[in-house]
Order: sequence, then C-alpha cells, then structure tokens
Amino acid sequence: MGLREDIMNETVAQLPLRKAVTVTADLSAKEAIRLMRDSKLGCVFVIDDQGRPMGKFTERQVLKLVCGCVPLDQQVGKHMVKIPECGCVRLTDPVVKVLEGMKQTRLRFLCVVDDAGKVVSLTGQKGLMEYVADHFPRQIKVQVMTSKLHMNTREGA
Amino acid sequence: MGRIRNPVEPGEFEDPLHNYDPPTHSDELERVLCDSQVSQMPITPLAYIEKDATVQDALDVMAKYECSCVVVQDAGRAAGIFSARDVLNKIAHDPATRAKPITEFMTHGPRTVYVTDCPAKALNLMAVGGFRHIPVLDVDDKVVGILGPRRTTEFLQEHLI
Repeated sequence: MGLREDIMNETVAQLPLRKAVTVTADLSAKEAIRLMRDSKLGCVFVIDDQGRPMGKFTERQVLKLVCGCVPLDQQVGKHMVKIPECGCVRLTDPVVKVLEGMKQTRLRFLCVVDDAGKVVSLTGQKGLMEYVADHFPRQIKVQVMTSKLHMNTREGA
Repeated sequence: MGRIRNPVEPGEFEDPLHNYDPPTHSDELERVLCDSQVSQMPITPLAYIEKDATVQDALDVMAKYECSCVVVQDAGRAAGIFSARDVLNKIAHDPATRAKPITEFMTHGPRTVYVTDCPAKALNLMAVGGFRHIPVLDVDDKVVGILGPRRTTEFLQEHLI
C-alpha cells in the first residue's frame, strides 16, 4: 500500500507521538522554559481546569520574549498563542488530518486529545518526517553522508 | 602522431548498460524524494552573522528577520548555526550570556546538504539525524539558504495531499 493510502487509512495513534507537557496559565514563563528544557521539547500546552488545551507556548514565543528583553517572571498565559480548533487532533483521526491541520494553521506542533478533549500527547513536523522516513527506509534512512560534493584535486594528480 | 584506432567490428562491443533498468518508483513522493534536487525545495533565504559577533547580535538578526535560525559564517563558509532551541537551552535563563561571543553557544560544524543533493538526503538529516535547520550549499561550498522544518513539511504536503 502506498503512502498516500496510508495517510488516509492509518490513525494519528500510529504516528510517532511525544509526551506533551502541560502547564496552567498562571505559571511563570521562566518555569515553563525550564519544563521545556528538561523535557527536550520546543512547546508546552497551556490547559484549563478540565485539562483541555487553551493555548501553546513555544520556543518562538521564548525567542520573542528574550529578543524583547521581557521579564520571564510574567505569566505564561499572557504570552501563549491560542490553539485554533484545527490545531487539535484525536488519536482516532486519520493521519491526513494532521497534514491538513498543519497546512491550515501553519503550526509546527499539533495537540493530540482524547475523546473528552484532554491533552494526551503532541505531534508535529518531526513526527510527520519520521512517519515518511519509515515508509521509505531504503530511500531516506540509507544515505551516504559524505561532506564533500567533489574532490579538491583530480584523481591521481 | 595520432593514435590509430581499429574500427569496432559489429558484435564486438557490448554496451555495459544494455540490461540496465532505470529505477521505477511506486509513489509520486518517492520519485520526488529520489529524483529531484534540494534546489527544487522551498529554501529559506539566508540570515547570517559573522563569527566574531555576540549573542546579542544574533538575537537582533533573528528579531529583525523574524527567523528562528541564523548561520554563523567564517569567510563565507558555514562555521556554525544558532537557533531558537539554543536560545531556549542556553540563553533564556541567563541574561549575562548576551554579551558573550556567539561561538560559545552555536552548534559548530553544522551538517549541510548541497543544492544538487536529493531531498531524501535532507529528510534523512531531519528525520533520522534530528537536525531541524540544515544549511544548503552551492557547488563552491557557499551557503545559499536554510532548509527548515516548516518548508520541508510544506514540500511533503504538496506531494502528499
């Protein structure tokens, strides 16, 4: 079966998913940055009382804060970006919904939620690339990684 | 005196490629990954700083061009790369780092691809190697742009949906 059929038939659960880090809106940006660093993620999701995603705070927001010399003790809710409806996918949705969600929102990270709408994990561009690489192991995973395009001198010179 | 060549008798010469079958691809995306070139991918224009710059200089360039990655150049060659992830991991918690040289915080010797490489090689570096931003070089080893995750995803989406 080709990749095009697979992205229509396979579900989000079959994508390489990462454990999402969630924070509340009143947490400081400094603490959110520490959580992102510790979990080696470029994004944390800001959730409400029911565990549903309200927004996200990514390394792009961190960059804006640092470039603008904004104090990092401010609440993360003040600097988060709201997640649109198509920025969330369910585990049972087809993979194509992730592609469409990223295309519509131009987001790097999508929030994966359960049937109750609570955050369960995250996926995004890296997960999609790994999914494509898994489908073409001979073409993508096996590469000659030489650094030089051509030799500096003629062969035998 | 020039070399005299004997004419080839019919049947004497055998074409070494006579039984060569060109590769066939089962999928449009597979064909694009293997047969096209990195130059056909949407490459982000280059934002760069020189090697003797400070972290603050890099932040200024990133803010000015609203990009999440700058290439640190040394005589036109990519000596390193400095991205939003470096800001998150090394800069955000310590304001004193802003005045320090960028060479202390950049990733040295970044992995690169040439404009003539196939997109599968770039995807290998991203999906398998875990590199998010890859400088793209021309045949003279000069950096001509950056291949980032957003545009690579757009490239995949173009051939998938």
